[in-house]
Amino acid sequence: MNDDARYMAPLHLAARLILENGGETYRVEETVTRMGHAFGFSEVEAFAVPSGIFISYRKGDGNIETAVKRVRKGATDLTRVDAVNAISRQMEAEKLSCEEVMARLEEVQNRRAKLTKRQLMLALGLSAAGWAVMFGGTLWDSGVAFVVATLAQGVAFLLDRARMRSFVATLVGCFLSTILPMFFHLFTGLLVTDACIAACLMPMLPGLAMTNAVQDTLRGDMVSGIASATSAALTAAMVAGGALVGTTVFRMLTGGVL
Amino acid sequence: MVEILRQIGHGLIIFLSSAVGTYGFAIFMHAPKKAWLPASLIGGVSYALYWALLQFSVYEPLSVFLGALLGSVLGQFYARRMRMIASIFILLAMIPMVPGLGLYRCMSFLAQGLYTEGAKAGVGAMVDIVMIAFGLGVGSYGIRMFRRPSAAAKEVR
Repeated sequence: MNDDARYMAPLHLAARLILENGGETYRVEETVTRMGHAFGFSEVEAFAVPSGIFISYRKGDGNIETAVKRVRKGATDLTRVDAVNAISRQMEAEKLSCEEVMARLEEVQNRRAKLTKRQLMLALGLSAAGWAVMFGGTLWDSGVAFVVATLAQGVAFLLDRARMRSFVATLVGCFLSTILPMFFHLFTGLLVTDACIAACLMPMLPGLAMTNAVQDTLRGDMVSGIASATSAALTAAMVAGGALVGTTVFRMLTGGVL
Repeated sequence: MVEILRQIGHGLIIFLSSAVGTYGFAIFMHAPKKAWLPASLIGGVSYALYWALLQFSVYEPLSVFLGALLGSVLGQFYARRMRMIASIFILLAMIPMVPGLGLYRCMSFLAQGLYTEGAKAGVGAMVDIVMIAFGLGVGSYGIRMFRRPSAAAKEVR
């Protein structure tokens, strides 16, 4: 095995693609280890945390190749995570060269999103519309939740374009998701406001991050567990902040009608 | 009889609404297209089970646990069947179970200065989140325990 150091590039790219697109840390570790073994290395170690990855393997000359990569989480794209996983499985089934694997991973990386931002906004609106009924709301709640969630996501995309951090987008999104249904109820008297607001807030809640944090901790992955829990707590604080500001502003403007 | 039919109808609405919610979220999370429908059906069934258990006065955390357990088992079954990662189905199936209403009520009570009610709602939501994690964990380990080694080798997680 000549020039074994070049095998680090596909391992890192695979790890980064999974982490950036919302994959779990244990999946990163499993995938990298599997790919390393498929390349023919015997000692492959991977350690992933939500913000980075450490990979090492023993080269043919007996030395250990190690590298660290900082990863910044992007928007969740489960199709990419699935595609990387499929490549690693394919490597086990058939012998693929380093260049072939790299080319396939780059193809996954460069693959354009199939849906436009407008379609994503509508998808989130559909989601909120369903949850409004699930929480005991009426068709009016469903319609208002659709409009408000779509609008809140549109604002989040705008803030994203203006390079605002996701926490700011969450804060603003929660503010809109709280105050708009309250005003609609004030003027029409039609909504079950709790159901409508909760439905609009659902996409921003860190419930899954919290669940992952508990799961990581139960699995013995304390670092990932604590990191996920901290991130979830911060997001929850932003959701709470946005909702509290929305409620407080509404009460100030209306004199506490609701 | 009328009451039973009314409950069944309500259950169907709960199932459909949670499935629609999950479907929209599957699109938003860029899940593979062929997973949209099965994932949303699993989300709907899991939440409908949770809701049905609550109607039978089953303790709420236990209902959440059983709903999450069903979502986890069905998610892994479909993942193997469709040769995709289980996370896609499990993650999406858990979305309706996330205690959004509980967390919102917690914040709402705190905003009104009702700290005891807020703390109560917050703790309830946290217990639900822990029970979801337990449900997922038990489902995953259960499936691994009952899996044949040959199947395990072919598995696509």
